[in-house]
Amino acid sequence: MTTTQEPLVVVREQGTRHIPGQPDMWVFVFFESLVFTAYFCVYLYSRTQHERAFLHGQSQLLAWLGVLDTVVLLTSSWTMARCVQHARAGRYAPARRDAFLTAGLGFVFLVLKIVEWVRLIHLGHTFTSSEFFQYYFFLTAIHCVHLLIGFVVLGVLVWKLSASQEIVETCATYWHTVDFFWVLIFALLYVVR
Amino acid sequence: MESRVNMRLFVVWLILVGITVAYLAIDRAANDHGFATASTAVTVAAICLALVKVRIIMREFMEVRGAPQALCRLTDFWVVLMGVAMLGVYLAGRAIA
Repeated sequence: MTTTQEPLVVVREQGTRHIPGQPDMWVFVFFESLVFTAYFCVYLYSRTQHERAFLHGQSQLLAWLGVLDTVVLLTSSWTMARCVQHARAGRYAPARRDAFLTAGLGFVFLVLKIVEWVRLIHLGHTFTSSEFFQYYFFLTAIHCVHLLIGFVVLGVLVWKLSASQEIVETCATYWHTVDFFWVLIFALLYVVR
Repeated sequence: MESRVNMRLFVVWLILVGITVAYLAIDRAANDHGFATASTAVTVAAICLALVKVRIIMREFMEVRGAPQALCRLTDFWVVLMGVAMLGVYLAGRAIA
């Protein structure tokens, strides 16, 4: 059965400013940012107290793999931003395509992370093997939990694509938040010395 | 208009990828003959660059650029808050280590 649905394009007046998505999502973004900042602060403090052990643990990571993870997730954020633009203009087919591309790139990120975890575990680095790897596995795993929730959020986006621009923007805000958390995690785990 | 928006998003993505790839240069510079050494300069640079990326993502991808001034200021404040907390704890930790 097919139904004809009028696209609900929100036309905003030129020059007016609006909060992207639902304000509740922004409260979540600010709250989660504080929680992650607390994790990062504890990690950085521990680093300064056990510098050699952390440097040794960090040397087991492949920086280029971290860069690749980051580029994949940044690209998913780009396709998500394009999805929002298409949806706003009422172009739902390309918006849906970009949403699926975003999910695909999220999946690639997840596979890369699992490959990295398996590699490290084969080298003998586990959650309990050293303090660095305790932080590494905790931070990357908690981020992956957020990413998995992101797939559900993307499902909601695709479902409500032509029904509510506000929901599309809310879902996009969540996805970008997962992206910028990784940007910080990458810098802290792979680059800081 | 549409192509201008798409081009802007592409340029933003390019800048973010450029900064990410630049991390590889920082990573190499931080190694002394293949051995990783502690460096405050590298740590501060890595955190600051990450915060610049976070702000770009917020402004451009999360569309804070077109949001009310209150949200613009609040997100900027949050980025500064995260930076001050992380760098403050790191520098304090180094001082007492």
